[in-house]
Amino acid sequence: MKTKPTKNAVIITAFLLLAALASLLFLLLPVAEDAPYTADIYQNGELLMSIPLQETAETYSFTVEGENHCVNVVQVCPGSIGIVSADCPDKLCVGQGFIRDSRLPITCLPNRLVIQLRPSSDSEAPSDLPDAITY
Amino acid sequence: MSVQKMTTLAFFTTLSLAIFAIESAIPPLVPIPGIKLGLANIITLILLAHFTFRDALWVLLARILLSTLLFGQALSLLYSLAGGIFSLLVMAFVMRLLRKKTLFLTGAMGGLAHNTGQLLTALVITATPGVLSYLPFLIPGGILTGLFTGLCAGFLGKYLSPHL
Repeated sequence: MKTKPTKNAVIITAFLLLAALASLLFLLLPVAEDAPYTADIYQNGELLMSIPLQETAETYSFTVEGENHCVNVVQVCPGSIGIVSADCPDKLCVGQGFIRDSRLPITCLPNRLVIQLRPSSDSEAPSDLPDAITY
Repeated sequence: MSVQKMTTLAFFTTLSLAIFAIESAIPPLVPIPGIKLGLANIITLILLAHFTFRDALWVLLARILLSTLLFGQALSLLYSLAGGIFSLLVMAFVMRLLRKKTLFLTGAMGGLAHNTGQLLTALVITATPGVLSYLPFLIPGGILTGLFTGLCAGFLGKYLSPHL
C-alpha cells in the first residue's frame, strides 16, 4: 500500500512533463514564413472584416466597438496588425503587440474580439459563412 | 455548520480575497490572456489538504463572487467559475491519488486544469477556434504557476494552527 501514492506521483509527473513537452514542440514547429497574410477580425465568432495585409500601403487605424462598451483601436500596418488601445482593465490585447504570422491570434476577451491571420492564398476565411447563396 | 467552522471558512475567504486583490495589482507577467500566478489557489489547496472538499468549494465560490463584485466585470465571472471549479475537481481527484502528499504536483495539475477550463470557456464565448492556439502557452504556464502555488501551500500547511 505504501508504494501506491509514489506510483501515482510518478504517473502524474510523467503526464505533466508530457503535456509541457508537447506544448514546447508545438511552439517550436516552424511556420510558413513571409507568406502574405490576410487578417480576419472576428467579434462573437462572426467575421467582421478581412484585411489583406500585403495590400496595405500605409498605416491606418480604426475603432471596433463591442457590447460591453468596450472599445478597441486596431492599427493596420503593411504586413502586420495589432490593437493599439483598449478600454478593458488588463489591456492584454495591447500587450500582445503586432502580429505578422498565423501562429497566435490577438484576443480581447472583454470585447470578444479575435484577430487571426491566415495566408492570403487560402481564399475563404475559416468560418461558418456560406460559400455562396443562390436565390 | 458550527460557528467555529463558519468563522474559519470566512477567515479563509477573506485571506483568499486579499491575496486576489494584491495579485490583481501586479501587472500581467506575460501578454497572454490567462497567464497569471493564481496565488489565491494556495487557499484552495490548503482547504483541500486540511479541510474537506465542500469547505474548499464554498470558499472558492464566495471568493469568486466577491472578487467579481469588487474588481471584475460580469464576463470575468464566467471565466473564473469555469477555471476555478474545473481545477478544484481535478485537484480533489489528484489529491486523493497522492494521499495529500506532494502538494506541488496537485497544484500543477490544478493550474493546468484551470487554464484548460478557461480556454474552453473562451472558445465557447468567442466562438473562434483560433483561440486554441493559446493552448501551448497556457499548458506550461498553468503547470509552472501551479507548481509555485502548490509549493507555497505545502510550506504554509506546516504552520497551520491545529486549533482551526
